[in-house]
Amino acid sequence: MSGSVHQLVPTITPRDAVGNHTFRLREVLRGLGYESEIFAMFRHGDVTADTHLVDQLPPDADALIYQFSIGSPLATRWAQYGGRRIMNYHNITPVELVGKWDGLLDAEVRLGREQMEHYASACEHAICDSDFNRSELDALGYASTETIPVLFDVADARPDKSVITALDARRKKSGGPQILFVGRIAPNKAHHDLVAAVRTLRDVYGADAHLHVVGTDGPATYRKVVDGIVAHADMASHVTFHGSVSQEALVGFYRAADVFCCVSDHEGFCVPVIEAMHHGCPVVAYDCTAVGGTVGDGGLLLADKHPLTVATALQRVAADRELRQRLAAAGQRRAGDFALDTTRQRFADSLDTLLSGERRLP
Amino acid sequence: MSNSESDAAYFEKVVAEIEAEAERRTADGHYPRALLRSLDEEFRRWIPDTGRAAGVEDAIRSIEAAAYIDPGVPVESNKAVGRYVKTAVRKATYFYHRHMAQQIAALGIQVTRPLRLLDSTVRQLDARLAALEDRADVNVAMRDELAASVGDPDLSDAVHAAITDHLRDAPGRTLIGEITRSGPVAHLVDAGIDAYGVGPGLERHSSLELRDESLIEHLDVLDAGVLGGVVLIGATDRFNLNEQLTILDRIATRVADGGRVAIVVRDLDAWRSAVGNVGADLIQGRPLHLETWVHLLEREQMTVDCALPASADEPVACVLATVER
Repeated sequence: MSGSVHQLVPTITPRDAVGNHTFRLREVLRGLGYESEIFAMFRHGDVTADTHLVDQLPPDADALIYQFSIGSPLATRWAQYGGRRIMNYHNITPVELVGKWDGLLDAEVRLGREQMEHYASACEHAICDSDFNRSELDALGYASTETIPVLFDVADARPDKSVITALDARRKKSGGPQILFVGRIAPNKAHHDLVAAVRTLRDVYGADAHLHVVGTDGPATYRKVVDGIVAHADMASHVTFHGSVSQEALVGFYRAADVFCCVSDHEGFCVPVIEAMHHGCPVVAYDCTAVGGTVGDGGLLLADKHPLTVATALQRVAADRELRQRLAAAGQRRAGDFALDTTRQRFADSLDTLLSGERRLP
Repeated sequence: MSNSESDAAYFEKVVAEIEAEAERRTADGHYPRALLRSLDEEFRRWIPDTGRAAGVEDAIRSIEAAAYIDPGVPVESNKAVGRYVKTAVRKATYFYHRHMAQQIAALGIQVTRPLRLLDSTVRQLDARLAALEDRADVNVAMRDELAASVGDPDLSDAVHAAITDHLRDAPGRTLIGEITRSGPVAHLVDAGIDAYGVGPGLERHSSLELRDESLIEHLDVLDAGVLGGVVLIGATDRFNLNEQLTILDRIATRVADGGRVAIVVRDLDAWRSAVGNVGADLIQGRPLHLETWVHLLEREQMTVDCALPASADEPVACVLATVER
């Protein structure tokens, strides 16, 4: 195969899900024999040598893939591009969930949602991370869509022993379960609900549970509120915010935690759930947006996230050894569905078929 | 049956058991209900009204941060020799890049100055507008005082029964507002309805949930579709037309599909005799006619199930409606 298929992305950074995916997709495209480069408006300092500014985008590529996860002027550039236009949709958090917390993000997600609607007719084919994301585009009248999970390699480093030792020591001392959540501290991830659930677990079941939160801060206003909720719930000594951690430490948390709990109100895919399953950490999750599709048969999916329901589920997993073992085994099987080799092949097959065929309107 | 299929069935069974246990504990009251409610209130209290004000400030700060440019050009390269070449070029051209960076930083600061001016002007305009609104709305204190003297109407057993029956299948909690006493809430709770009351000045009660806040402010912080029912009482006698329409607008979105709405409104003559001539002249609002409430509810896509008019023996009228989306 010859020709060129480039990617356009508003911001490219080396350590986020969309950034990693974009680099891996470039490998797939090059593997198919295409010349393929990444063009961005903002580039992290670590990847400037490996990417290009958008003004260097050649006008005559055979196809241009737009990595769509936020509103950006680049969407217009993609929609007006002369070659074939393919979208890779990673979801845009609804404005109701983030707008009040972050004024700039409010403007960006509003623009993104408008562009999503406006450019339906400009898109020849859209590849979505999840069926949930795909259903959003289908509802907007996108002519051709399919679901292929994001390309990622689960955090598979050698676990940081100090993390495992620390969690084990805490478990031995208190006898209570060590509960883990991994994700940016943002309102759509509902950390405040997680705190309420763990407090309920402690109150109702008398379990000396501890919540470990791994992830960077999102909007400062939300972090402040979560801190306030932790203080109000008298949970300051039972919740630890670890911030961004190394791959080794992250694997340590997945290996040592008793249960991974996700009560997000909105997820477009949720990579940490798969990482937890991969490492044998039992998953309890609130079944909303794309979470149910990602967890599949690999974890316990709750239809509501009342703190008492979540606490009861956490207690059950912590106390039931057989359930824990079955969840660990089922989670690992489920995580296998998202193995990098599998998804890479799916992208290769899909793009090969699409790009070697006739251009479909538009 | 494969492992995956048998696990899926087993996990479904476990989830059903978890839900049943949670329901049982909820029914028995075996969970920190008051604490969870206070956490929920605490969270809602701190949800920002809007992120836009912070957005302007954030935007200005990010421009200022971006304006300080590092004149040290990156030297990473895919080719081994590239790094040495780039390092040499960087050293040779550092004076030039530093000069450019200083000019761009100066430009950035010049760009943010008018933005700060604009932000400050908008804030001043907001403040002046608020002051103008206060000035236009003269004698608010006197009118509030008169309105506060209008107590909640007494409901007959027949009206109580009609409202209770209507709310029996409400798909969630029922809000009663804006009340000045606990009676209407106690009546519904005794009848097995999951109800709570809202009104400024409501005192705490040992067994009832009463919230000391204004109805409009309370409705403003609720999420869409969280209420199973609303009983509007008291506000219909004291609030001006704009406030009553605002409340109806909030109710239309906060009540879930299939939710129940009851509007209790005092007969106009009974209201006049309750507020007296001074109140009738000076309080801006007055009870709307029964037909007006029916019209307004239908305009909000609600199905009016029943309209009970006032009579010589019954000084209040009542409209019962269901939210249909």
